[in-house]
Amino acid sequence: RRFPDFSYITQNGRLTDFLDCVIISHFHLDHCGALPYFSEMVGYDGPIYMTHPTKAICPILLEDYRKITVDKKGETNFFTSQMIKDCMKKVVAVHLHQTVQVDEELEIKAYYAGHVLGAAMFQIKVGCESVVYTGDYNMTPDRHLGAAWIDKCRPDLLISESTYATTIRDSKRCRERDFLKKVHETVERGGKVLIPVFALGRAQELCILLETFWERMNLKAPIYFSTGLTEKANHYYKLFITWTNQKIRKTFVQRNMFEFKHIKAFDRAFADNPGPMVVFATPGMLHAGQSLQIFRKWAGNEKNMVIMPGYCVQGTVGHKILSGQRKLEMEGRQILEVKMQVEYMSFSAHADAKGIMQLIRQAEPRNVLLVHGEAKKMEFLKQKIEQEFHVSCFMPANGETTTILTNPCIPVDISLGLLKRETAIGPLPDAKKPKLMHGTLLMKDNSFRLVSPEQALKELGLAEHQLRFTCRVHIQDPRKEHETVLRVYNHLKGILKDYSVQHLPDGSITVESILIQATAHSEDQGTKVLLVSWTYQDEELGSYLTSLLKKGLPQST
Amino acid sequence: YRDLHTFELQAPTRLIEWARGNRVCVAGYGQSDGNEILQLIPPPTLLTEETQGLCPERDFKVECGGFSERPVYSLKYVPDTSLLVTSGPPDSSLQVWQVSAEDSDVIKSVSTVTTENGTGQSWAKIAIISARASWVLHGSRLNRVQITEVESRKNVYTAASRGSEELSGLAFLDCNTLLLCCATGRLCLADIRQPQSLMDAMSVPSAPCSEQWCMGTRHGAQGLEPVARLSSRGLLTLTDLRKISEFLALAKARVPSPGSGAEFLCVSWAPALKGYLAISGFDGTVHVYDTQSWDNSGREAEPIFVHKGHAFGGAGGSGDPPLVTVHTWHLQKPRTLLSAASDGSLHVWDWVQPCGKC
Repeated sequence: RRFPDFSYITQNGRLTDFLDCVIISHFHLDHCGALPYFSEMVGYDGPIYMTHPTKAICPILLEDYRKITVDKKGETNFFTSQMIKDCMKKVVAVHLHQTVQVDEELEIKAYYAGHVLGAAMFQIKVGCESVVYTGDYNMTPDRHLGAAWIDKCRPDLLISESTYATTIRDSKRCRERDFLKKVHETVERGGKVLIPVFALGRAQELCILLETFWERMNLKAPIYFSTGLTEKANHYYKLFITWTNQKIRKTFVQRNMFEFKHIKAFDRAFADNPGPMVVFATPGMLHAGQSLQIFRKWAGNEKNMVIMPGYCVQGTVGHKILSGQRKLEMEGRQILEVKMQVEYMSFSAHADAKGIMQLIRQAEPRNVLLVHGEAKKMEFLKQKIEQEFHVSCFMPANGETTTILTNPCIPVDISLGLLKRETAIGPLPDAKKPKLMHGTLLMKDNSFRLVSPEQALKELGLAEHQLRFTCRVHIQDPRKEHETVLRVYNHLKGILKDYSVQHLPDGSITVESILIQATAHSEDQGTKVLLVSWTYQDEELGSYLTSLLKKGLPQST
Repeated sequence: YRDLHTFELQAPTRLIEWARGNRVCVAGYGQSDGNEILQLIPPPTLLTEETQGLCPERDFKVECGGFSERPVYSLKYVPDTSLLVTSGPPDSSLQVWQVSAEDSDVIKSVSTVTTENGTGQSWAKIAIISARASWVLHGSRLNRVQITEVESRKNVYTAASRGSEELSGLAFLDCNTLLLCCATGRLCLADIRQPQSLMDAMSVPSAPCSEQWCMGTRHGAQGLEPVARLSSRGLLTLTDLRKISEFLALAKARVPSPGSGAEFLCVSWAPALKGYLAISGFDGTVHVYDTQSWDNSGREAEPIFVHKGHAFGGAGGSGDPPLVTVHTWHLQKPRTLLSAASDGSLHVWDWVQPCGKC
């Protein structure tokens, strides 16, 4: 199976209706290789989003991929050059941190991901629920790219790649040192070094590295960069200078970081020149073109070296020699004996466990989902994430569905009157502490409003009901009513020091808004009946008063 | 150097233990809880005999990990079991863990071996011997030394008490003989078949200021090898346990003074190079010495090699310079060592024998 099975997305095949949009994170083939197939052969006709550099560079890689597959391997049922062009015409390029409205509900935003030129992490948002997908990213800056960065956007879900999650990487300094050592040794003994590269990406990194080393060591051996490659690369990096790292941007003002003093354009004829040299040539897997041509010329000499800077697809010469093959069958049944040294160098930039934790710390997601990993068991990392951030961490296998519960926020408008009233009560609230307010939630059509109860009643055309409770407490007191009232008043005044207790001229007592009156019992002159009356709102105080009075009055007073 | 690889752990470690299958174990010792125990698979470069400069796989892989609530100061794999034990402050109990790499990559906490707590905060030093399955020798002080059979958690042996000094290390010399090293430098021998006897071995040369000592032992092809002791002032003594009354050799290492204390003092014999030992814990360096030329004089010895990588690595500038917390020798590659420092760095280095020697 060459391309993904897109019937996984929807069974009825109407992808354009089902999908709102397609997002491509960066130009690596494992992320965009099926795009022309998807849009021109499967028939997706909706929007496609990617960053500007990705849009510029994708077609180059796709065309290269097409050439190997169709021209070299003779495969059919593959997309054509025209299809690549038609596909790219449908692409909408986006800027970093630009909110793109896909439709009335869906918005997307790209964040810098490091990794390769133009790589982005995407935030996908509907209302107040959002998902962030990282694509491939890197949390440590390198010579030509910065580190990934995201703001505290608190997505409901962060989907992160975990390629190097269980790896503790050898430091870049050691890697580079060993690479330079190998190149230097070969050149010192008069050998030639071939470095097959893709047009863009690690090539620039390695060029900067070699240029700096050549300058420092005052080396004279020539370094060449394939024709066509230099212009294109320079062109793209100049175009997208804002996508490179801080240091490059700073030095770019003084001189173009990608115009090298020691690195010159290559000419086919140079491959036959005697003496040491270093050549960067495309394509990266030695599967065709110039790099393969040079390889054939130099393979027979053990003084020479080829350094493969990245992953090679099965079937390519690059893959074969990395697997240890030293006799290769070329066109016309010719056998090529490989005596030159074969080395492998991996400079690919992915986040390790520490980097993943850093990204989670930056974004503050509520849930984390790990993908693109190689370890079957990542229970330890899952626990680490769950313990440190108190979020759920998922690691679904291919084909598995994960359900994530979200707590969507529902925005509610509060009426100005209610707001004013609630803030008038009590001292000014601490800006950081939540304040409890009371109101009535009105849900009408699709709007939510919070208003005062009076306002709600008015709008609904309802009359407010008053609830009043009355309780009778019997007290043994032979004296006259007004004396009993005085006793009750003094008693309550003494106990309820924080409340407003008043003795009114008409002979009743009020405690806040609760009314107490005394009457004589109809049959028993020695008993007085206290009527305690309160509204529903004063229920608590009313009950308290009642039980207090039921205990009786103290003997004095 | 013949080779040098630098790695950065998420948290610094003060132990590097080899496990079955060439695995390496490290663990965090920070103040707060949430310390990780990590069992790592070293990159293939470390496992093969030849050193390959450029190799596709140059990284350590975390094979499994566990979470410890207390700082991990010491760790040992229990022979013939899938268990490991750790120890750390605030007391001298041992934590027992299960490593089961088949169905899960989590190292699970299984049980605790509690011990009577003496006065003061100290943590248990641990030793094992491959010939005794499930046995762990442990103790924090001279009067608290015992052997526990970890699977059953049964006590197998308790040493007689000969003082309550703090221990800096202990070791099995063979299946029946134990060697205990106190922080004062005093060495004691014990035969587990005779629990009541604890024989005093050597003391150390007296010094004007009190110093702390640690020891390094090695099981050579010919049986007992001399015991090395290192002091916080840089003094090194070699003792043949068959002739306890005298020093085999006495030398002084060139170390900065005043020292950084004895927290991370470490001395170890090379498994594959006769007479070579390494010391660390004074600063950001590891020294390698050839003791074959040493005598009794206590003169300053010249190291064969000094690894300075930890002092130069990392962010630099802010905070204290990194201190090497531990080092260990590769079990097969004769000149390869692993060292870790307080800034979280982990180095693997292979040094070249200087000219004139072989």
